Amino acid sequence: MLLREKIKSLVPGQFSGRGCFSALRNKWLQICSEVRTQPHANKFVLARTFDQRACSPELHGLIETLKTIRKRILANTLLRGWTRWFVWMLVGLIAVATVSAKLAGALLFIAGMAAIGAAAILVWTWRNRPSNYETARRLDAAAGMQDRLPTAVYLCGVEHPDGMIDEQRKDTLARLKKLDPRGFFPVQLPGNMKRASVLVLVVAGLFAYRVHHRPPLLSLLQTTARSQLVQSIFSPIVHAMEKDLQRTMALVNMKPNATGDETRRADAASNTEDLWKANDDKGADAQEQKDSADAGAGDQPQDSLQAPGSQEGTPTGEARQQDSNSQSQQGKSGSENADSKSQQQSEQQGPEGRQSLGQSLMQALKNMMSNSPSQQSNNRANQQPPNGQGTPQSGNSQQPGATESDKRGDSRGNSDAKQKATQTASEGAGSQQGSKELRKDQETHPVNAVPDRVALEASGFKEQTRMKIATETGTAQLAVRDQSSRQDAVINGAEQENIPARYRFYVQRYFEHADNGKH
Amino acid sequence: MTSSVGTEGQTGGQPLGQQAEFLSEKMSEVRLEISKAIVGQTEVVDGVLIALLAGGHVLLEGAPGLGKTMLVRTLAQAVALKYSRIQFTPDLMPADVIGTSVVQENGDGRKSLGFQPGPIFTNLLLADEINRATPKTQSALLEAMQEKQVTVAHTSHLLEEPFFVMATQNPLEMEGTYPLPEAQLDRFLFKLRVPYPGREDLHDILDRTTQGNPAVVSPVVNGTQILEMRKIVRTVPVAPHVQEHVVKLTMATHPENRENLLASKYIRYGSSPRGAQTLILGGKVRALLDGRYNVSMEDIGALMLPALRHRIILNFEAQADGRTPDDLLEEIAGKVCAKQK
Repeated sequence: MLLREKIKSLVPGQFSGRGCFSALRNKWLQICSEVRTQPHANKFVLARTFDQRACSPELHGLIETLKTIRKRILANTLLRGWTRWFVWMLVGLIAVATVSAKLAGALLFIAGMAAIGAAAILVWTWRNRPSNYETARRLDAAAGMQDRLPTAVYLCGVEHPDGMIDEQRKDTLARLKKLDPRGFFPVQLPGNMKRASVLVLVVAGLFAYRVHHRPPLLSLLQTTARSQLVQSIFSPIVHAMEKDLQRTMALVNMKPNATGDETRRADAASNTEDLWKANDDKGADAQEQKDSADAGAGDQPQDSLQAPGSQEGTPTGEARQQDSNSQSQQGKSGSENADSKSQQQSEQQGPEGRQSLGQSLMQALKNMMSNSPSQQSNNRANQQPPNGQGTPQSGNSQQPGATESDKRGDSRGNSDAKQKATQTASEGAGSQQGSKELRKDQETHPVNAVPDRVALEASGFKEQTRMKIATETGTAQLAVRDQSSRQDAVINGAEQENIPARYRFYVQRYFEHADNGKH
Repeated sequence: MTSSVGTEGQTGGQPLGQQAEFLSEKMSEVRLEISKAIVGQTEVVDGVLIALLAGGHVLLEGAPGLGKTMLVRTLAQAVALKYSRIQFTPDLMPADVIGTSVVQENGDGRKSLGFQPGPIFTNLLLADEINRATPKTQSALLEAMQEKQVTVAHTSHLLEEPFFVMATQNPLEMEGTYPLPEAQLDRFLFKLRVPYPGREDLHDILDRTTQGNPAVVSPVVNGTQILEMRKIVRTVPVAPHVQEHVVKLTMATHPENRENLLASKYIRYGSSPRGAQTLILGGKVRALLDGRYNVSMEDIGALMLPALRHRIILNFEAQADGRTPDDLLEEIAGKVCAKQK
């Protein structure tokens, strides 16, 4: 199409074969005339013009010498080009044999490429072959004859020279006799011939290997991927990426989930069966850590803080234990209910309803974030000041776990591991999720189902909500009440205004129960 | 010594090759004679001889006391040419250079205006400290240098051939000087820089000038022979690639040439065609002096700086960056050679 437009521009009118031919012919003549009018601008044309001229008889020897040298230059150029191309083809062969399982097609392709390239190099070399004049220049530069040779070749058309041209010709021939011009341009192997030989050996060895084996690079990659070293290198990175992804998702979904209803959470919980297995493990780890932490619970005041802060004032340790027991029972019953719900839903969905692990993870994360108020209250005991001034607790099953965690493996503690375990095991307190420990608790301490959430209207709870967020990011630390956290808590407290009514009911019942126990 | 070019200036029908050999021998003798008085400065002496045989003029630039005037005087003695010297000063008038019409009385007692030739009517003119004269006086040399004639009172007077102007200027004392206009600079074939002599040369100078008698320089060639040599020089062939190199080199000095960023950045005006002519003509002389019958790329490279350094005019940016014509030309030549290879 482009050619047609060009031809049309050259030959206005109808496009036809004859017009096309005449247009191309005119264009070619135009190019040739331009070349002829500017001979100095095109050294190739200039040189060819010299070659076509008749030469003086006394310079025939010089011209023959130049032709011989030109053949050698051509041979060297061809060898160099072919060797370079051959090296690239060998590199391609090595790459193919290393990676590809099927070699036949690749071999045919590379053989074709090699043949085409060799032919192209041949054509290109012949097209750009040096003329006699150019050869004379090269020989002159090699022999250091100070441009005598090209001048003589340039003036070779003068048959009966006189004066300075004759002197110049004689001078050139006299100096040329003292030299061995062919010695300056021997046919020699290219410099990269050694490299090509090594590559040939490598290719031969590789193909011999490939007769009975798979592609070595693929095998190597598989072996490497299985090695412990690589896994040890990449697994932390993968975990870190997963964490980052989870955090991102949590940040994205935090506000919408804060107003989410329970039905959605129940649906999501049905898809987290795999998570529960992992959480069980985490819970076990957390239990171990908890055991060690609770070993000195009576001695350390901080352990007493981990116990559910009872109502206002400074309750004794026993009272706290009782309170926490009751709380944990209630919480576990709630989690059991939620668990049973999720199991039923998952059964209803059947195998098709199961999602992938990643999706489950994301969904679990969303649920976790939606239950964050309850989780945050779990850490409240950790973040309470040592004076033990209790504030009303949420009906979380983990506060009781602080006292009975040795047996129940309640996940709560000061360390990050405990907090993680708390995030998984303790979610059953208010949400539809639960843990094995909680189920056990429910079996041993059956309580009525309680609402998932309670109203946390006290400013202290809001404040600790903020603290929980801080500990979730992995900075396990004691709570420090400062002005900034309060401000943040006030901001985050807005999320808790949407706490379902059953949580409030649960807290009321909890406090009533605690008061009854006291009295 | 047999000479193919007779003392009377006749070629005697000798082959051109022999004449070329004679030229080479004679110039070697001239060098030898000059070296009796001038210590070292071989490049300057070669440049002066090349300019003499090429039919051009030379501008010598150097500090005082480096032997510029001595070189011109010695050359005049070695080539047996008429020699005159003009000390250029600010109050020098053109008539003091080219001559003037005066009232003359003939044998009949009749008075008429006659032309009194100035010191420019000579073969070898030394214009000492040419940049100290006013531009008006400097321009009096323009016609003489290019057309080899002077015009006084509507009458043109031809100068005697060979006419060879050697001007000197001091690059240090620029106060009270008038820099030569570009038109006049372009008329000088070469601008040669006279360097300070080396340690050994200085010892030699002291020995020669403070002991014994001053050296006596004997004439080797005359004006007629020089004119014949100039004809021989022009028959030397030039290969096309050498001429192409000269053209590219000259064009590369032009700031309009977009391919050469160096020239467009630092050069205000490039070389005139006289620069290319100088390179070819000077290359021919250099080839003959070297015993060759063709111009080589080496000749062009050797003559590039003296032939082009005064023909390019640098811009303000080059002066601010401390660039000189010499280093710019060398860079340009390097790029042109690299492109040709």
